[in-house]
Amino acid sequence: MTTFLRTLRGIQEHTYLFAVSTGVITAALVLLGMFAMVSANLTQVLGSWERDVHVSAYLAPSIEPEAHPALLQSLAARPEVAEARYVSREDARAWMEGKMPELAPVLGDLGPEALPASVELTLRPEHTAPAQMSVFVRGLQASGSFSELDYGQEWIERVDTFLSVVDALGLALGLFISVAALFLVGNTIHLVVYARRDELEIMRLVGASDRYILTPFVVEGAAQGALAATLASGLLWAAHRGVLSRLEAVLALALGGDGLLFLPAEGIVGLFVGGMALGAGASWGAVRRFLGRLP
Amino acid sequence: MIRLYHVVKSYGDHDALQDVSLSIDKGEFVYVTGPSGAGKSTLLKLLYGAERPTSGKLLVGGADVATIGPARLPQLRRNVGIIFQDFKLLPRRTVGANVALALEVVGAPADQIRRRVPAVLNIVGLKGREDALAGELSGGEQQRVAIARAIVNDPAVLFADEPTGNLDGAMAVEVMEILQAINLRGTTVLVATHDVGLMDRFPHRKIRFEGGRLVTPPGRARA
Repeated sequence: MTTFLRTLRGIQEHTYLFAVSTGVITAALVLLGMFAMVSANLTQVLGSWERDVHVSAYLAPSIEPEAHPALLQSLAARPEVAEARYVSREDARAWMEGKMPELAPVLGDLGPEALPASVELTLRPEHTAPAQMSVFVRGLQASGSFSELDYGQEWIERVDTFLSVVDALGLALGLFISVAALFLVGNTIHLVVYARRDELEIMRLVGASDRYILTPFVVEGAAQGALAATLASGLLWAAHRGVLSRLEAVLALALGGDGLLFLPAEGIVGLFVGGMALGAGASWGAVRRFLGRLP
Repeated sequence: MIRLYHVVKSYGDHDALQDVSLSIDKGEFVYVTGPSGAGKSTLLKLLYGAERPTSGKLLVGGADVATIGPARLPQLRRNVGIIFQDFKLLPRRTVGANVALALEVVGAPADQIRRRVPAVLNIVGLKGREDALAGELSGGEQQRVAIARAIVNDPAVLFADEPTGNLDGAMAVEVMEILQAINLRGTTVLVATHDVGLMDRFPHRKIRFEGGRLVTPPGRARA
């Protein structure tokens, strides 16, 4: 009888145990998938904070307006800069008057040089760490072309510290959930194999090799993992749609244009590979342990 | 067929078998007898490799069971048949599937299984019962299924540990008749029992243990 047929027979004879194991693996995968989904969304939000780093470089009065385009060009060419936008004195004044109309008379009294021209710089994400920002800004200061450089140093450092804490917590929580899932699945499958101990003992006594006994259990475990991954993906999708439909407006505000992300394709593949490995590995371990105790 | 040289089996401070030496020839029918805890089951467990002796040498069909490795144990088990008091059947499987199991593990082809299973069920008086669930049979019938499973690979030796212990008188007699018939076909049979009535009714060589010691000198204890 082939391994496939022996596996099917085992499932048929122990449908309830098969269902229990599959259910527990599903629960473990939902837990892991939920964590991965929350992580992915949190990473996206926090990443957008990091990406949203600007430097406002106010041009020194000594720099003649004719020199501004060349300065803008040289800034835009720097590897750290993703985008450089020139804001003339007039643009700055118009923006200010638009935002705070009550200041218009004051700005009028101060004359056209009330606000300096500036360059708004958006940095590439890989150059937004506090240390890199600091080096970049010091370089601009040393050039003498700018009267003031504003990049929200304190905010960037706070975000950076927060991200480090979130990363560490995420890693710890991820490890904890993974260990809990392993423990849960391992113990359930151990109990399931225990319920089939007579079968193992009889096979041993009639001369079955360990490999002959193990193989269908491992295949069954992998099948449970695959089925559990399918169920878990469906449940996660349903949960994702459910949350979206109830909290769409709040999420759009909190998460930006992309809204609530579902698991990426590699996450789904991970659920399947992880589920099958979990089922097969736990079955292999449990059967090996029992075989070690059998006569 | 079976040779034991100064075999000792200890569990902690307790010696289950003490310095046992004996010899059983091919084709013999031998009772291993004695009171409960005398060492009968321990001897059988040593013979089919479920336990290892603490010391001594133990040969079954030329193989030294005392030193046999885990990789070769299945091979030993395929060359012996084992019968237990509690039958050790898979109750949710049919009679045919229980017997076929012993052939499946040795990789027998399907057509051989289809031919061989009804043939051995015929020997044990269960012709036509292949499709019955093992768990729904009477005790005597279950023991006959266990015997069929034990002999389906034509083993050179059959070990039976209290095979009639769970059966009433008539069923016990039926089982002993089957074991005797199997012995007449050339299989060495070793039966652990303390049922004096059965031993008197089916007289064969007896090996008696008391407190882990062989009290009947080997070779002298004949029926």
